[in-house]
Amino acid sequence: MTDHIAPPPSDADGRGAPTRRRLLAWPVALLPGWAAMPSTAAPGGLPSAAHGDSSVEWDRLRPKLFGDRPVLAGTGKVQLTAPLRAAYGASVPVKVTSLLPQNDSLYVRRLTLVVDKNPSQVAAVLQLQPGVGQANIETRLRVDEYSHVRVVAELSDGTLHTDSRFVKTSGGCSAPPNRDSPELIGRTTLRLAAPFQPGGLNTADVTVLHPNDTGFELNNVTVMFIPPYFVRSIRISQAGQPLIDAELDFSVSENPTLRFHFVPQGPGELRAEVEDTKERRYVGQLALP
Amino acid sequence: MWANLPCPEGRAMAHGLQPWAPGRLSRLWQVGRAKGAAWLACWALVAAALLAAAPAQAGLPADYSPLVLQPKLQDGDRLEFDLRPALAQARQAGKRLYVYLGANDCKFCRRYEAFLAANATALKGHFAKDWLVVDLRSQLNLTAQRLVLRTDTLALPYAEFQRAIGDERARMLVYPSVWLLDGHGKPLMQMPAGNGTFETVPEQLEILRLEQ
Repeated sequence: MTDHIAPPPSDADGRGAPTRRRLLAWPVALLPGWAAMPSTAAPGGLPSAAHGDSSVEWDRLRPKLFGDRPVLAGTGKVQLTAPLRAAYGASVPVKVTSLLPQNDSLYVRRLTLVVDKNPSQVAAVLQLQPGVGQANIETRLRVDEYSHVRVVAELSDGTLHTDSRFVKTSGGCSAPPNRDSPELIGRTTLRLAAPFQPGGLNTADVTVLHPNDTGFELNNVTVMFIPPYFVRSIRISQAGQPLIDAELDFSVSENPTLRFHFVPQGPGELRAEVEDTKERRYVGQLALP
Repeated sequence: MWANLPCPEGRAMAHGLQPWAPGRLSRLWQVGRAKGAAWLACWALVAAALLAAAPAQAGLPADYSPLVLQPKLQDGDRLEFDLRPALAQARQAGKRLYVYLGANDCKFCRRYEAFLAANATALKGHFAKDWLVVDLRSQLNLTAQRLVLRTDTLALPYAEFQRAIGDERARMLVYPSVWLLDGHGKPLMQMPAGNGTFETVPEQLEILRLEQ
């Protein structure tokens, strides 16, 4: 179900968190440096790297996102799963698995998804509440060229933990989206992935029908680039209690989808409020048994 | 059936464009030795130019002993690739199938085939050990709606076939494409659209090792 809603409250938390608007500025700042970037060449000339490697792009971006705070790898707190090669660069399945339970004493409060070599590197920043029960997230990202995909999990104690995968694909940001049903743009659907558990951990999907245009796709008729037009936020709540505030970018694939968990906070619907870059707002609702 | 399709190689042969034919050379010698030498040099130049300009041979290199499959006309304008003999052969040999779909007018197909040819020494042993290589010969105007793939249990147009076997590449038919199948037609690994991510020897070996 979809309709228009009032503007959401400001997302600024005043704690220096990496909001989408702030982070969007970094790729532009990095542009002049691209020409001078060294790359590790595979025999065929393409870059090659191990999953856990850093990159020039990440070395530049990391301090801008997290300052001089240590970003710990290999701590077993968070795991990223992505294929070495995906069917299409425009739709690379990515799964973040938190390896600690989400409770009030210690929980994952923020996940930052980064694609090192994308024109816009920060794909998503998700603020999570303890009510999600388990901070696991699945989505699909655009990967424009051979690149590391990274997740940084910020725990409620302020520590940062990361994991990464090297993904071999290309063209993810210039692949033409499906435009068969423009009248359906914004339709937001919530569904349970398994039968409802009133007191337990549930899994749900939210999907927004949206082209998520990157600005790098060419219109073959007009030979003009299609302007960027994408979903910038999805706010998920249950029984009026916030679960996830997701700040998104065009590095998320068309028809943005999030699979997430939640523990019911009492009787009340599951609700997703969506806003795109034309400031159009949509709502998806799911009544729970 | 290919005669009805715009095949550049087929049209060239139909027009008899064979300047290097032995009959022509022998007639040249009858003109006279002095003139003949000049004509011969001229023809040699023309022949060399034509050979250089001609499209590269389509298809996987013979080094890989590919099983070449041509499509058969089905239901009007649909063309079917029947994988059943290849699947049976793979089962009998205890091998997997490396199914390559190439088009005779596709430059990316030529690029991949040239890569395989240039690196045959390094790669052919790895292919031969575990894989039965199948070369589906197509062309770019054979679109997803018209291209039918048949296995022991399925005979479906491209997109439906992909969905039926759980391959995510249903949305768009890309030339070239590779499937890695077991002897029963079940995918062994999700493959990318196109071959651009395995045109180096180490990356081709990653594919053969089913590294995900």
